[in-house]
Amino acid sequence: MKTLSIKIFIIFMFISGILLLDIFTIQWENYKNISLIHIFISIILMVIFIIPFVNKHIYKYIVIKKVNDYNGWLLGFLLLSITVSGFYLFLIGNRGGDLFGIISFNTHLYGSLLLAISLVMHIKNKITTNAVISIFLLMGISPVQLHSVEFTKLKTDQNDNSHHNKDWTNSAKCKSCHGDIFKQWANSNHKNLAESNPYYMVLEGLAGEVEGDDFRQWCMGCHNPSGLTTGLKMSGHAMNGNFLKDLIFEKNAQTLVEGFKKYGPTKLEEGVGCVTCHRITKVDSFGNASYTVELNNRKKYPFEDSHSRITQYLGEKLINANPTIHKESYSNKLYKKSSYCASCHDESSPITGKKIVSTFKEWEKSSYNSPDNPKENKNCIDCHMTYLKNGKFSPKSGYSTDGGNLKKDIKVHYFAGSNHFLSGLKSKESENQTLQLLRTAAKLDVDIKNNKIYVGVKNVGAGHHLPTGAADFRELWLEITLKNSTGKVIFSSGKLKADGDLTEDARLFRKVFGDKDGLPVGLLFWKYEKLLSDTRIPAGERRVETYNIPNNLSYPLSITVQLNFRIYPQWVTNAVAKIYPQLPSPPVIELKKIEKKFIK
Amino acid sequence: MMFILLLLPNILPDRKFIQYNDDQLREAALSKGMKPIPKNYDEYLKVIDNTDNILTKEKVALGKKLYFDKSLSKNKDVSCATCHMINKNSNEDVLLKSLTTSSDIRNCASCHIKENSGTDRLSTAVGTSGAQNPYHLNTMTVLNTSLAKYLTWSGEISSVEEEAGASIQSPFKMNMSPKEINQRLNSNTKYIEEFNNAFKTHSSLQSSANYENTKIALGAYIRILLTRGSYDRFLDGDNDAINAKAKKGLASFINLGCKGCHTGMSVGGQVLKRFPLKNFISQNDIGFNFPFILSDNSFPFDNVGGFLGKDNDHYFRVPMLRNVTRTSPYFHNGSVFKIKEAVRIMGQNQIGINLTDTKIDEIVEFLKTLEGDIVDYSKDIKSNKESL
Repeated sequence: MKTLSIKIFIIFMFISGILLLDIFTIQWENYKNISLIHIFISIILMVIFIIPFVNKHIYKYIVIKKVNDYNGWLLGFLLLSITVSGFYLFLIGNRGGDLFGIISFNTHLYGSLLLAISLVMHIKNKITTNAVISIFLLMGISPVQLHSVEFTKLKTDQNDNSHHNKDWTNSAKCKSCHGDIFKQWANSNHKNLAESNPYYMVLEGLAGEVEGDDFRQWCMGCHNPSGLTTGLKMSGHAMNGNFLKDLIFEKNAQTLVEGFKKYGPTKLEEGVGCVTCHRITKVDSFGNASYTVELNNRKKYPFEDSHSRITQYLGEKLINANPTIHKESYSNKLYKKSSYCASCHDESSPITGKKIVSTFKEWEKSSYNSPDNPKENKNCIDCHMTYLKNGKFSPKSGYSTDGGNLKKDIKVHYFAGSNHFLSGLKSKESENQTLQLLRTAAKLDVDIKNNKIYVGVKNVGAGHHLPTGAADFRELWLEITLKNSTGKVIFSSGKLKADGDLTEDARLFRKVFGDKDGLPVGLLFWKYEKLLSDTRIPAGERRVETYNIPNNLSYPLSITVQLNFRIYPQWVTNAVAKIYPQLPSPPVIELKKIEKKFIK
Repeated sequence: MMFILLLLPNILPDRKFIQYNDDQLREAALSKGMKPIPKNYDEYLKVIDNTDNILTKEKVALGKKLYFDKSLSKNKDVSCATCHMINKNSNEDVLLKSLTTSSDIRNCASCHIKENSGTDRLSTAVGTSGAQNPYHLNTMTVLNTSLAKYLTWSGEISSVEEEAGASIQSPFKMNMSPKEINQRLNSNTKYIEEFNNAFKTHSSLQSSANYENTKIALGAYIRILLTRGSYDRFLDGDNDAINAKAKKGLASFINLGCKGCHTGMSVGGQVLKRFPLKNFISQNDIGFNFPFILSDNSFPFDNVGGFLGKDNDHYFRVPMLRNVTRTSPYFHNGSVFKIKEAVRIMGQNQIGINLTDTKIDEIVEFLKTLEGDIVDYSKDIKSNKESL
C-alpha cells in the first residue's frame, strides 16, 4: 500500500508538471493554480513521504537484499536530479542569464519524462500502476471549470475610470528584479511627469482653473493615466506634514519605494510608471493619449498583487521559475515603432483643435522615416533610448533583469530628450545623457562678408524640428560676440538681461502661439489658435541668420558664436516658483560654440 | 485532492447578498436618518430649526465681511478664511492671478482655494504669526458645521457662534481678547454703521460693534454655508445622480454600520465616539475579539501632537463626511493623506472589518458624492425691513 501511495504521489507531481507545458495552452487562471499546486504539494510530498521512502527502499534492497537493479539506480538518479533542479528553479529561477537555470529547466522537464518511463519499468505490479496512471490521465483531461468567465469577459478594459489602484502595478514592485532599469527610469522625465514636476503641477492647476476641472483630463491622459483611470479628478502630491514634499531633488524615487513598502499594491503610483508603457496594446498616432492600456486582461502570476513579505517573495520566485509569460505580458513589437510614442508625443488643443506638439508628424516627414532603407531608418528609441558615451551613440550591453540575459544593445530608460534640467536635479548621470544627445543635434558655421555676419545652423542630428515638443516653452538661440582688433566688443546678440530673460534682439528658434485675437498665449498654451511665428529648423535643414554690423571696422575681427539652449524661459520659471519657491532656475546650456578670426 | 480543490468553486453555492434597488436604497438611507440639504431658503427654514440666531440679510452680509477680514487677528495676518478656505469671488482665477501678478495668497491656497473645501488642507492648523496648534490638530471644514451637534475634535463646543468666539480668542488661532476686538471694530466707522444696521441699534450714540455681536454675525454667515451635491439629489429622488459603484458604496455604508456614527443631515458631527474603538487583532482576520479588550490606546497612525480626545479618554467628535474627499489629510492630526487609507483604518478600527479593496473603492466612490457646492441661500434671506 505504501509503495502504491508513493507511486500516486510521483504521478501526481508528474501530471501537474506536465500540464504546465506550453502545448496544453491551459487557461491562465487554471494554469496559475496548477503551478502553485505543483510546486507546493511537490515540496510537501517530497520532504514528508518520498525522500524517507526512497532512503528506506534503497537500504532495504541494496544494503540488505543486495539487489543490483540498473533501472532502480537510474530511477534514483533521475529523482535526485529532478528534485535538485526543481529546487533550483524555485529558489533561483530560470531568468535566462545563468546556465544553471537553463540546465535545471531542461533536466526538470526531460528528466521527468524519463522518470515516468523508468518508473513504469521499475514496478513489478504493472496492472495497478497502469490503472492508476490512466485514472489520473482521465481526470487530468476531463474539463475542470473555474470561475474564469469573469476573466475572459474583461477583454476590453474598464473605460469608466473605475480601475483599482492595484491594477496599476506599482513600479516599485518591478524594482526588485529590474534594478538598473528602475533606477534609470526613476530619475528620468517619464517618472517625473506629475507630482514631482512643478511646471506640470502648476499648469494642470491653471488649466483646471481657467477651463474647468474636467479639462485636467486632457493633461492627465498622458501625464497621470493611473490617476485618471482610478477616478482622480486632479493630480495629487505627497505632503510632509504641513509642507509639500520636496520631490524635485529626490533621487531614485524614494517616496515611491517607501510608499510601496508601507502600503503595498494599493498605493497608487501617479505619473507614468512601468505598466503604463509596458501594457499598451494598441495605439493610434493621433496624440492626446490615443493609446489603450490593458490592465485587467493580463496574465498575473500567483501572489503578484500580494503585499506580505512571504507572499511577495513567493510571487517573485514563481515569476523567476517560469518567466516566459511574464515577458510576453510586458513586451510587444509595437514598442519599437515611432507611432507608439506618437500617442503622447503629439498633442493638439482640445478647445481649438490646433496642433501644439507635432514631434511624430515632423519625424514622419523626415528622412529618418525610411522603412525601405534600414540604414537610414531611425525610430524614436534608436536615439532616445540608446546609451550615449563621449557624445556618441554607443549601444550598451547589459542586463534588463538582474541575473537575466546579456543584451547587446540594451534600451536604456533615461529617456533622454531635451529636459536635462528636471532629471538633472535628481541625477547627474541622467542629465549627462540628455546633454550628450542635445549636443548631437546641430552644427554651426559662421562667415563675415560685406558688413554682415552670416551664421548657419544645421539640424544634423534630430529626426524632428529643432526644438520640438513644447516648442513654445523651449529657448534655443544664437549668442554672438564680435570683437575688433583692440578686443573691444563691437556687436553682440542673444545675451541675458539681469533678470534672466533674453534680450529682445535674440534670434530664437521657436514657435510662438497666439490666441484667437492674435495675442501671445503666455502660460495658457492650450488657447493656441493663430500661429504668430515658427522659426524652428526641420530635420536635415540649414538656417542662415544674418546680422548687420557697423562699417569701418578695424580688422582682424574675432567672433564667438554659441548655440544656446534653455529648457524653460525665465518668466515661466518665475511663475512656477511662486508656487514652488524651492525650484531653482534652469541654466543656459551651450550646445555648440565656434570661435573664428577674420583678417579682412 | 487537487481536483477536488479545483472543483470547489463550482460545487459551493454563491453567497447571496441583499440587493437593493435604487428606491429601496434611498428608503433605507432616509430611514437611517440621512437627509438631503435643503434646495432653497424656503425649505431651509422648514427643515432647519434655528431660533438662536435669526438670519437677516444684513447680519449675513456683515458676517461674510468679518469672515474675510484679517483685522480680527492679532497680527492682522489671518482671517477665518485663511484656514477655512472659501473663495470669496468665485469668478476670479486665483492661480492665474497669483502666477502673473504679485498677490498675497499663500502657496497652497492658490491652487486649492477653488475647491471651496472650508479647510486649509494642511496637517496642522496655523494661526496668527505662524502659531501652530499645540496638539497638532487639523483644521476642520467650516462647511455644514451649523448642522453638527458638537464642534471641534473633542466636541466641547455646541454652536457655531460659540466656536467663532473660541477661535478669535484662541492664542494659536486669532489670539484676540474681546476687548481688543471691540477696539478694532469701533475704530472703523464703517463697521459701526454696519453693526448698528444689522443689530437694529438706532441710537447714534450706541455702538453694536462688539465681540458678542461679531460672534453672532459670523455665526449667521456660517449657518448658510451648506453644500449640496449628487448625494442630496439622489436622496431627493434622482436615481441617476450617483453611479452604480457609489450606490454599492452607500449600501455598504449603511450595512456595515458606518452610518451608525456618521449620521444626520451633516453625515457626522452628532456624537462623540471612542477612537480607535477596537484593537484589530494584529491587523488580521485571525482570532476573536473579546468584548473586554475593546479599548486599545494606540492609534493606527503616528499620533503626532499626542492629542487624546475629550478628557484624554480617546473620545472624539465623529467628523462630518460631507466634502470629505476635498479635506485631506485625515484624522485629528492629519497623519493620513489618502482617503482610501482612511477608510481602511476606519473599517479595521471602528467596525472591526478588514475591508476588501473593492469595498474601499466603492465606499470612496460614495464619499465622492458627498462633495457639494455651497447653496446660495443669501438672495432669499429677508432683510431687516422685510422681516418686520
